[in-house]
Amino acid sequence: MAEKGKMNIEHLGGVFRLREEHEKVVKDCESRIQHWKKVSGDYEALNERLKTLPDRLCYDIMVPFGPLAFMPGKLQRTNEVTVLLGDNWFAKCSAKQAQKIVDHRMKYVKNELDELSKTRENFEARVGFAKDLETISASKGDYVDIREEVGNNDSAVAKGKQRIAHKPNSQPKRDAVLDVKEDDEEEDGGQGGDGGGGSRRGVLTEQELWARLDELEKLEELQEEQDRLSDNADMNGEDTSTSSSEEEKEADAAPPVNGVSLKPSWSAAPRSKASLSTDRKQADCEEEEEEEEGSCLPTIFFSHTVEPKKVRINTGKNTMLKFSERKEQKEHSKRKKKNGHNNGHSHHELHKITTPADIYRVFVDVRNGEPVPRKSILKSRSRENSVCSDTSESSAADFDERRVMIGRSFSHDEATHSDTSDGVTEEDSPVAVPLQPTSRFEAFSGTVIEKDPMPSGVPHLTISPPALPTILERKQEEAPPDLVPPQPAPKRVSKFKAARLQQK
Amino acid sequence: MADGVYKKLQAEVEKYTRMQKDVSKSMSARQKLETQLTENNIVKEELDQLDSTNTIYKLIGPVLVKQDLDEAKATVGKRLEYINGEIQRYETVLKDMEKKCEQHRELLTSLQQEYQKAQGMTA
Repeated sequence: MAEKGKMNIEHLGGVFRLREEHEKVVKDCESRIQHWKKVSGDYEALNERLKTLPDRLCYDIMVPFGPLAFMPGKLQRTNEVTVLLGDNWFAKCSAKQAQKIVDHRMKYVKNELDELSKTRENFEARVGFAKDLETISASKGDYVDIREEVGNNDSAVAKGKQRIAHKPNSQPKRDAVLDVKEDDEEEDGGQGGDGGGGSRRGVLTEQELWARLDELEKLEELQEEQDRLSDNADMNGEDTSTSSSEEEKEADAAPPVNGVSLKPSWSAAPRSKASLSTDRKQADCEEEEEEEEGSCLPTIFFSHTVEPKKVRINTGKNTMLKFSERKEQKEHSKRKKKNGHNNGHSHHELHKITTPADIYRVFVDVRNGEPVPRKSILKSRSRENSVCSDTSESSAADFDERRVMIGRSFSHDEATHSDTSDGVTEEDSPVAVPLQPTSRFEAFSGTVIEKDPMPSGVPHLTISPPALPTILERKQEEAPPDLVPPQPAPKRVSKFKAARLQQK
Repeated sequence: MADGVYKKLQAEVEKYTRMQKDVSKSMSARQKLETQLTENNIVKEELDQLDSTNTIYKLIGPVLVKQDLDEAKATVGKRLEYINGEIQRYETVLKDMEKKCEQHRELLTSLQQEYQKAQGMTA
């Protein structure tokens, strides 16, 4: 034990000392082995003696008498032996029993020898290792350097621990990002758009957005032609003041510009007036898309449905306002289309895309509908109905006031508005539908309600609608599409017209 | 400055050597106990091999005192218990002492560094 302790202590000393100690241990083991070998030899001799002792009754022997003298004597009772058991214990026993005891002790000695030889081999190997170390580290400096590196490693380990602490935080962030992407930006819509989430989405979907914008432009052109043919009566000068400003803005903001500004708009759009205008534009675009879908592309329809849902879901009051805005926008778009402002339409489409914040809201609503956190899908439908009713009732009413209200609603908490809007929408929805049976608004509301839960969220999230979600939306909306197209057209036209009127 | 540190270092080194002696003493005592344990174990095993026809003696001083076999077995058993207890006691003591030694060694190394610094300052 002592040697081992020393060994441990001296491991720190150096390779030389280590080897020396190991050699010491080996030597000690060897000496002990020698001792035990001697003991075992003695026992063997004793065993032999005990074997032959009882052969005769008595032996003539020289009895040691003190250290110097021997006396002749006789050894009698040859079968009677007194054995020292150890610890001053003696036992009188026969030669046979003594032999047993000797055998027992021989076993013990053998064990000791085995153990010693094992330890000796062990330490011999260690000595070899120490020698190798000596040869390998002929320059001891290397060894010291290694120790320094260990110290560095310790510090690194500490850093690692800190990082580990950070990792938990970072992982949740990653998860959140993934969720946002996957869940159609529910959180962003509910909160009014997180800057980080919006930027990520924007980055991902820029190319898609551009493609989308191009498609929307084409669709708008088609819609404008349709509107010219069909909707002449919708053109009114009611929204001229607001629509003119909006139109100008839209015209100024080229589609690419809108796409570029999509990222920032997502985060800041919902609360700012600009965001309101963009929302309206988006709504118009969605409506246009729906109309276009009825004629050509289904993807457009989905986007439209999503936006109304977003508005409704986000805030009941807001939804109401948004709907009114939508109506206004629809009217404007119709007017514009009638006027033949393709550029304005394209801008509207861009705005739709650009107003990802609105989309986020919609998505959020959709998500809410799925997880049922705030409002259920049914509520959203009811809101849609209410919106339709509102549009029908107040479509010709003061757009400016509504816009102002919308702006306020955006800035204010959406949750409170949503509650009130829900109640109102549910009550109003049935009435509104009958009031405007032929209007496109009614058809829109119905279609929107059905489409909203699933398809709306997906396309908005990705901005560039993936093929799958769009298809789903089409399928869901197949029944209502006919009704949908007419509604958006008049609203859009109204906006355009209003803008033109204002300009004039 | 260096002298003061040196004296302190010397005193600490003496203390440390004393502690080391204590440690080695208890170590040897423990080793003795270990050998006694093995010896008594052997005795016990060999007593088990004997029967009532054998007479057992205990050497007390210069005299062999006759003992009963069962009695001898009981005493050997008690002795074994005692030795085991002693070994455990020494184990704990040794641990304590080694801890102290470790602390003292650290103190010594710090003192040594101080002394070397002082030497460097004076030099």
